[in-house]
Amino acid sequence: MMKHPTRLALVVVAALALAAGVALAIWDRTPPSADNLLALSLPDTKGDRQALGQWRGKVVVVNFWATWCEPCRQEMPEFVRVQRELGPRGLQFVGIAVDQPEKVDRFAKELQLNYPALIGGYDAVDLSQSLGNRLVALPFTIVINRQGRVVQTYLGPVKIDQLKAILSDLL
Amino acid sequence: MLLAVLGFAAALPAVAQVNPLPPDKAFRFSAKLVDARTIEARFFIADGYYLYRDKVHFAVEPASAGLSVPALPNGKVKEDQFFGRVETYRGDIVVKLGLTDAKPGQHVVIAAESQGCADIGLCYPPTVQRVTLALPEGSVVPAAPEGSAKKPWFN
Repeated sequence: MMKHPTRLALVVVAALALAAGVALAIWDRTPPSADNLLALSLPDTKGDRQALGQWRGKVVVVNFWATWCEPCRQEMPEFVRVQRELGPRGLQFVGIAVDQPEKVDRFAKELQLNYPALIGGYDAVDLSQSLGNRLVALPFTIVINRQGRVVQTYLGPVKIDQLKAILSDLL
Repeated sequence: MLLAVLGFAAALPAVAQVNPLPPDKAFRFSAKLVDARTIEARFFIADGYYLYRDKVHFAVEPASAGLSVPALPNGKVKEDQFFGRVETYRGDIVVKLGLTDAKPGQHVVIAAESQGCADIGLCYPPTVQRVTLALPEGSVVPAAPEGSAKKPWFN
């Protein structure tokens, strides 16, 4: 073995890389805390600040979106239906728009949005990065359980049937 | 060993359901000098991705070098329920930019802002990519032989 220090080094590097991969996979499976997100206070379309902490204890679905994001707009009517259906059981959708308040307001009215539309700005999306949105892309959706832990995230459109199943379990 | 690694990778939980490119790879930007006053700016848009025409903007740094931007090429017109008529780009787009007040030998930075989406159903916030160009000392630009330009293969 010692005759081939280079080979040994390669084996060690490979083993370390594998270990790092395993560690990352395990780390990825631990539901992270949503504390940083729930500590946010963001303006609604009227400019009134809303603390996300007010929904602590509910099952919260935070959806990062924008009017300039067509796939975001496409899935929102379904969110409206799910909020209507499961709201009474303790579900709270919260939309965080990376957008201008006027556009958000217009779209919210058009859609008859039945959950808060807050204005996030890019710093809010940056926060979503720490919750798994590595590309800082939209839509990005986070499911938070009653204990304030992130139990599921979706980059890109949610799988609505899967989301409903998860929510039924949590509620 | 390789098989073991592949098998291991397959066993990982599906953390991301989609595996999108980062925006600077989905909408790769390049710029090269055509002559001392003309820059060929290009977006290479990856398959399955598109840019919004009205979200493509160019700027030069320092601004004193002066940039003239022609009308951008026409995109594919789409009726958007919310925004009305929008134009999108796929494939490659090329824009010839003009430098109006640059000095010989000056270094200029071309900043290209773009915003687009992926067909798999996600959009990126506006992204700025920058390319630094060194203008020739004299008035004559040696013709760059095809393929001799530094390829950003590591990007």
